[in-house]
Amino acid sequence: MAPVGAPDGFLAGPRRAVPREVILMVAIIAVGTLFATQSEFFLTERNLVTVLRNSVDLAVICAGMTLIIIMGGIDVSVGGILAVSAIFIGHSYKAGLPDEVVVPIGIGVATMLGALNGVIVAKARVPPIIATLGTMYVFIAVLFLVIGGTWIHGLPDTLSFLIRGEFVGIPAGVFIIGCVYGCCWVLLRWQAWGRHLCAIGCDEGSARLVGINIDRVKIQAYALTGALAGIAAVLYVARLRNVEVNIGTNIALEAIAATVLGGADIRGGTGSLIGALMGVIFIKLVQNGLVLIGVSSLWETVVIGGLLIIVLTLDALETRRSGRPT
Amino acid sequence: MPALRMSRIVKRFGGILALDGVDFEVNPGEVMALVGDNGAGKSTLIKILAGAYQADAGTITLDGAPVEFKSPQDAWNRGIATIYQELALTGKMMIPDNIFLGRELKRRVFGVSFLDRRAMRERTKQLLSSLDVQVPSLDVWVELLSGGQRQGIAISRALNIDAELIVMDEPTAALAVAEVRKVLQFIRRLREQGKSVILISHNLQDVFAVSDRITVLRQGRRAGVRETRHTTPEEIIGLITWASTAEDDQETPFEGLGAA
Ligand SMILES: Nc1ncnc2c1ncn2[C@@H]1O[C@H](COP(=O)(O)OP(=O)(O)OP(=O)(O)O)[C@@H](O)[C@H]1O
Ligand SMILES: [Mg+2]
Repeated sequence: MAPVGAPDGFLAGPRRAVPREVILMVAIIAVGTLFATQSEFFLTERNLVTVLRNSVDLAVICAGMTLIIIMGGIDVSVGGILAVSAIFIGHSYKAGLPDEVVVPIGIGVATMLGALNGVIVAKARVPPIIATLGTMYVFIAVLFLVIGGTWIHGLPDTLSFLIRGEFVGIPAGVFIIGCVYGCCWVLLRWQAWGRHLCAIGCDEGSARLVGINIDRVKIQAYALTGALAGIAAVLYVARLRNVEVNIGTNIALEAIAATVLGGADIRGGTGSLIGALMGVIFIKLVQNGLVLIGVSSLWETVVIGGLLIIVLTLDALETRRSGRPT
Repeated sequence: MPALRMSRIVKRFGGILALDGVDFEVNPGEVMALVGDNGAGKSTLIKILAGAYQADAGTITLDGAPVEFKSPQDAWNRGIATIYQELALTGKMMIPDNIFLGRELKRRVFGVSFLDRRAMRERTKQLLSSLDVQVPSLDVWVELLSGGQRQGIAISRALNIDAELIVMDEPTAALAVAEVRKVLQFIRRLREQGKSVILISHNLQDVFAVSDRITVLRQGRRAGVRETRHTTPEEIIGLITWASTAEDDQETPFEGLGAA
């Protein structure tokens, strides 16, 4: 897929002898085969379409996470943004507003929260992991203050075509994912903005010396990730038609894991949108398979966290072996 | 190239006074060497000229007209290109991406501007071959290239800006003998084309080989300016290290200023 020397951005860079996308493909086939032997339901069309429907919001957020990690940042608050945005969507529906108003409200709120992250990271120079951890707790507090431990439920189903719909036999989610990843790819590889994003992740000092407006790119990138979390909130509400208190809890971990599994360097500079998407598919298949073979859902996060640590360790070992400075 | 004049430049980093009222000027078509000990403030001075840092005080004029460089783009637009000591390359990006970083070529398709990758590749090939820089492929991360190749890419980037004044901060530090000779040759070629060059180097042999004049910085102040033909390495070393305190600095008439 990606020969040595492949252009960076969409596929992972030329560092690896075997591209991460190939490894992930093999891994997906391997776990797929494993689960298929354990549960005859696993490989049915119905199950796979369900997996896809459950993956769309994570996939959308993961595109933003990939851009952020390529920029050398991280955003652990995406779940909080998703939650707050979903609350705004829920209450807007309850207030009787139509889709045309509700959707822009949800995405707009999320974009502003993302931009807030960006401003804290860029202007106050707070390390992104700390800044977004802080805002995460603020967002979660908002969630509890507003919905106070109850669900917002009984929301209209006017948007459920986004999840359940089909076009020429292909589920709607495929088109949504295609759109989001296509746009991000164009941004990353065919716009100067994407080159500046990579440059900041590679070496912020160099980026500054060639006159890149670092603060602006950072704020825009976090705002974009917020917007994608807002789209994910719309999809979440469209899918479940309620807003529950534990919304968005694990999505940051899952998105970071998928991005890193997909070949992004957690220290910034490189990453692969296709790889991240395959990481999402891998994680969602594993979660689904574990449920089907009757493993407690508690193990899901253990498996994902463990995978993240294994991949990061292997990356670190590879770096040390090749003698490249960290 | 208009005459460049930097006057009374002051720059602080927290408690460190990196530049303490430095004067510096370059005449049209001359190679001005800038020398001084580690930490004397050479890189800081040229980063202010490049628009990468903002001076705390002082002025810059081109042909007598004051200019303000708020960003590297401002300096480029006035024909000043800088090759930084740290090269300012991004390791995990390809060669054309690096050469055009911050000033990408674009092409409009349906009213939206996209990167013109093909044009950037073509121009990159031209630049590299005009400098005789050999690379295995354009699609390699620059961090995988040798010091000389990276230097070549940084020089190509500066060359790609249609500059009248090229600033080189330690361009030969990482290079083998043959490559050093190439860089010096290149500096001479720039001067033949009527361009001005600022060369920062610790290697006085290189400095004496190509420069017209030499400015010495010492601890954030100008210790003196000499015409290369009329000075000796010993005198320059003396100025760099304090040894010659007899005649200093700021009062020295700027010999040769009006001459060109
Ligand atoms: N970004 C910065 N932050 C803080 N201090 C700095 C910074 N840049 C330079 N300095 C300080 O300013 C002084 C001058 O540094 P500068 O890099 O200009 O010296 P130089 O003459 O280029 O030295 P060298 O020959 O080692 O390259 C030094 O004391 C240095 O530590
Ligand atoms: Mg220096």
